[in-house]
Amino acid sequence: MWRSARFPVLWVGAPLLLVTLFTVVPIGHTLWTSLHSAHFLFPDELSWSGLDNYRKVIAGPFFLTTLKNSLLFTAVTAPVVVGLGIATALLLQRRFTGRAVLRSVVLLPWVLPGAITAVLWIWVFNPSWGMLNTWLRDLGLITSSIPWLSDPSLAFASVAVAHIWSQVPFSVVLIMAALSTIDPALFEAARIDGANAWQRFRFVVWPAIKAMVVVLLVYNALTAFTTYDVVYAMTGGGPGTATSLLSFQIWRESFSMYDFGAGSAVAFLVVAMAGLMIVAITRALPSDLFAATEDEAP
Amino acid sequence: MLGMSRSMGMAGVAALSLLAAAAWPPAAVHAKDVTLEFVVWNYSLDTIQDNVRQFEAENPGIKVNVTDYTWPDYHDSVVLRFRGNTTTDVIYGGQDWLPAWAAAGYLYPLDEIAADAIESYKKDLAGFTINDMTYDGHLYGLPYYADTISFIYNQRILKDAAIEVPTSWEEVADAARKLKANGMERPIVYEFNQELPNFYDAFVAQAYGRGGDLFDEEGEAIFNRPDNAAFQQLSWLRDVIAEGLVAFENHESTIIPAMNSGKHAFTIVYNYVLAAMNNKADQPLAGEFALARMPGEAQSTLGFTKFYAITSSAAENRERREAAWKFVDFMAGPPYAVAKRWAIEKGLGFGQLPLLEDPEVIEAWSGWVDMPTLQAQIETARGGTWKEWTAVWAASFRPLMAQAMIGEATVEEVMSQGAERWDALRAQMAR
Repeated sequence: MWRSARFPVLWVGAPLLLVTLFTVVPIGHTLWTSLHSAHFLFPDELSWSGLDNYRKVIAGPFFLTTLKNSLLFTAVTAPVVVGLGIATALLLQRRFTGRAVLRSVVLLPWVLPGAITAVLWIWVFNPSWGMLNTWLRDLGLITSSIPWLSDPSLAFASVAVAHIWSQVPFSVVLIMAALSTIDPALFEAARIDGANAWQRFRFVVWPAIKAMVVVLLVYNALTAFTTYDVVYAMTGGGPGTATSLLSFQIWRESFSMYDFGAGSAVAFLVVAMAGLMIVAITRALPSDLFAATEDEAP
Repeated sequence: MLGMSRSMGMAGVAALSLLAAAAWPPAAVHAKDVTLEFVVWNYSLDTIQDNVRQFEAENPGIKVNVTDYTWPDYHDSVVLRFRGNTTTDVIYGGQDWLPAWAAAGYLYPLDEIAADAIESYKKDLAGFTINDMTYDGHLYGLPYYADTISFIYNQRILKDAAIEVPTSWEEVADAARKLKANGMERPIVYEFNQELPNFYDAFVAQAYGRGGDLFDEEGEAIFNRPDNAAFQQLSWLRDVIAEGLVAFENHESTIIPAMNSGKHAFTIVYNYVLAAMNNKADQPLAGEFALARMPGEAQSTLGFTKFYAITSSAAENRERREAAWKFVDFMAGPPYAVAKRWAIEKGLGFGQLPLLEDPEVIEAWSGWVDMPTLQAQIETARGGTWKEWTAVWAASFRPLMAQAMIGEATVEEVMSQGAERWDALRAQMAR
């Protein structure tokens, strides 16, 4: 009888080879480069430099600020993305006229490239001719323009809004997928038992989506921690260092300052921190979170 | 005939060959056909191709293959071509890349290919363009286009407020304060994108306006001295931003609608942006914007040049070298027909000064700029300090400047850090 278990090395080997080629090798090369002096201007000076690149970037003027910004950006955007994803998915589960159209429209930000998203939000936030200031002024809520992208704290918030807007649709899709597994009879039973909206969510919806929520939190934390395109196109990391994130610093060190050793050092630090983040989040999970899924596996 | 000697036979063949060559010289030229590889960024590719076709028509026997890259990819693509020994004969070069590319031996000096022609052309070139195309005493290019960074103002707004065109940075600040008092929220709009080279270039232009420089003649950093023009200008920027006189835009393309919103009176941009601002076809306030000399005691500014350069690999072979020179001469040499075409059709600036007197150029440009003011600005423009490490250093200095401008760090701190970085790169390069 044909069984996949007969050739374990073959079945595991193929994906392992791909992972090795496209993940382990680049990470290994990044580590190797980070331990060498590798500068575009001095191609003949490629030499072992130990931890010098790490010392240089950590002691440099931008690393700690970009690390702080990245952690804050992650802490703010990941929960908001997931929260909005849950709320939107619950809304789209209800029956109302135009639901099908709205479901398609909600997905639109997901298919837009980051650069397009950034341009779109620049048009919203532009202080001179942006839509937001125009609306606020027309509504009589402001008398002078708000510098959304040039005030450091507002710029950070503006970039976070653009990032959240682009990431929510993916959460919506996955939460809707999880919601679709709930037996409608459970809702009916809860209603008959007199459960209010919050109780229905707490005891019917939440158990069905909580594993997906955790997956989304991990995914969005990593996405936020490594995001680059929207920030680059909206603010170029500025003003000053207000929106400079770690991933942006990798690019700046490598392709703006041509110091590939330093850029690789930042990149490897990001990989290490992302790894720690995954471990920390998964350790914090209840041990029975995925139990149901495992029990159901063939 | 059968008894004819071998030497007679050889002589006969030789004589026939000579006769054939004398009677049919074009065939001899075509036997030496050269195909040049011309690498460009993809601005107005149709015009480039058309210029190439005209060159080929005038120069039978020389073909030109055009390879184009997008502007953001251009630098890296050309470097990869150099390092990968991909055949490349003529390229678009830039003032900021020249030192590194020439020092690495990728480019060949034009004054060693056509010394007499280059010497005679120099008198027609703006001073800053010669500076931009010169490395280690040799001229490496002829201008594709050249431009200056200029101070732009809204004539109507200043007239309505009875404000004279400012000639110093203090007058700019005073005018902005007066306009703000009259109800204009942020009279100055500034291209604020610390990742773009323009951010540094515009700052250098302002320091040049004050009559100073960031570096001394030996290339030492002097901008960290409080009496230096760049130090003073960064302090000025910090102050006017703190006063709420400045609005930021993150790209020159958004400066155009911002100025056309009528909410700003001053900006600092490349001249071609002024051409776009004054384009009556799509800008509501077109015609209101004018060029003024860069404020400051010297009223100088920064000029920059993009140019045609010949690679060292092309120069190694006599036929390719001569063909490449013919091509560069056609594209940028007298009578400057190609540069004139770019100026008239696309509004691109030029480094060839005689075009400033050309009636067709004057007619085309008079719609968006005051030619005497432009001429005065071009004549006093200066090239930047371009060392092998300048572009790399500027990438680290721009975020520092931005930090000082918005008050995240002091001017003293960022100028000191910037000078340290410059000295470190300089020392590393010297090694």
